[in-house]
Amino acid sequence: MNPKQLILASNIQTHLCLQRHLLVTFFKTGALLCSRDVSRGFLVYPPSLRLFAEGHAEAETRLPSGATTRHFHPSNMLSRLVLVSASSLKGSGALGAGLIQASRSLHTSSQSLAPVPPLPEKGGKVRHGIIPEELFQLLYPKTGVTGPYMLGVGLLTYILSKEIYVINHETFAAASIGAVFIYGVKKFGPSVAAFADKLNEDKVAKAQEVKDLAMTSLAQAIEDEKKEQWRAEGRSVLFDAKRNNVAMLLETNYRERLHMVTNEVKRRLDYQIALQNLHRQMEQEHMVSWVEKSVISSITPQQEKESIAKCITDLKALAKATQAKATA
Amino acid sequence: MAGRRAALKAIDWVAFAERVPPNQRTMFNNLKTRSDAISAKLASLSEKPPAIDWNYYKSAVAKAGMVDEFEQKFSALKVPEPIDTQTALINTQEAEASKTAAAYIEASKARIAQYEKVLDKFKNMIPFDQMTIEDLNETFPETKLDKVKHPYWPHKPIAEL
Repeated sequence: MNPKQLILASNIQTHLCLQRHLLVTFFKTGALLCSRDVSRGFLVYPPSLRLFAEGHAEAETRLPSGATTRHFHPSNMLSRLVLVSASSLKGSGALGAGLIQASRSLHTSSQSLAPVPPLPEKGGKVRHGIIPEELFQLLYPKTGVTGPYMLGVGLLTYILSKEIYVINHETFAAASIGAVFIYGVKKFGPSVAAFADKLNEDKVAKAQEVKDLAMTSLAQAIEDEKKEQWRAEGRSVLFDAKRNNVAMLLETNYRERLHMVTNEVKRRLDYQIALQNLHRQMEQEHMVSWVEKSVISSITPQQEKESIAKCITDLKALAKATQAKATA
Repeated sequence: MAGRRAALKAIDWVAFAERVPPNQRTMFNNLKTRSDAISAKLASLSEKPPAIDWNYYKSAVAKAGMVDEFEQKFSALKVPEPIDTQTALINTQEAEASKTAAAYIEASKARIAQYEKVLDKFKNMIPFDQMTIEDLNETFPETKLDKVKHPYWPHKPIAEL
């Protein structure tokens, strides 16, 4: 950046820190500007802006850096100065604010303050809708509370009596329009403002919603990723389980084999014993039947006759005995 | 073969279950049922089979020397242990899984870093009601209106309004 511009910026800054000028000073500097500007080209920050900026504290901080005046064309500056000086006596907060906007948008140098301070919520304070409060503060030390009013009345009287402003038909038209306008603004102003604010707020709320949703979903995603990482850490347990399974299967198999061997040996031994037992049993039975057969075959017919006769005599004796018993 | 009784690691199935992601739950359940079946089977078999009462057999079996022969052969018999063919496979599987898991964790960490970056951007951005349009375009580049492609207002195709 041009060193001249830097020096100027610092000069302007010191200017701003001084006490406020009176209106007279304004005209002086206005004249100064007209003479200086043409010679120096566009290196000067228009004092008109500066003075307006004085009324708006936040804008003050922006001015020192906004000395890139390549947007300033000398003709622009002069015309703006004329406009501004014409209306400055009555003061116009709205115009000042507009100019402040213009100054803010000229922030293209790397020397601008960062972070950019927020815009003021409300415009500069005004009395009766159009007269900035600063005028009253300006005149208070010298003229007290009624000073600006007297100034206003006096000026009005002067203008009317000297016919600098001529009352004609247009005056009444302006008055009627003004009345209707002021009535309309007073009646519908707040609701329209509320509506416009609501529009804006809706936009902001939507954006905020999106932002909140994004933040929560991101946080959730981070949590999920961490959880997945934790899960992945548990993979060793799976393989432990698998190895355990394999070991258990092997052990089971081994035990089965041992059992099988024992059981087979036992079965064979038991078979031998069973076989032995069977043998003995069969021999026993065979012997018994053989003995019976031989005994039966050894009974001769002679013996049989004798045994039968004996049986008969025995029976007879038995019958006699029982008969005797029965009659006795 | 000292590795006969490879120590069975105690597995905490509850903790294991927690770590299983929901899409692998059926596999986990199958594994668990199989493991339980195997361990039940193992528990049902006693460690050593009941000893054979040689004396009784010696007195009972008439054939001379048979029991002695059996006893001799039986005590000399060594039951071969079953060969472990799977543990090596499992170990290789585990190594592979470790590698893939490490890669996954790396990718996951990269994703987390990304998410954290975006999250920080959101956290550190200026509140919406203190933004200008330029700030908005800086923070969310997708809101920037392409004034070269669409030189006339609204600087974007009507369909996107």
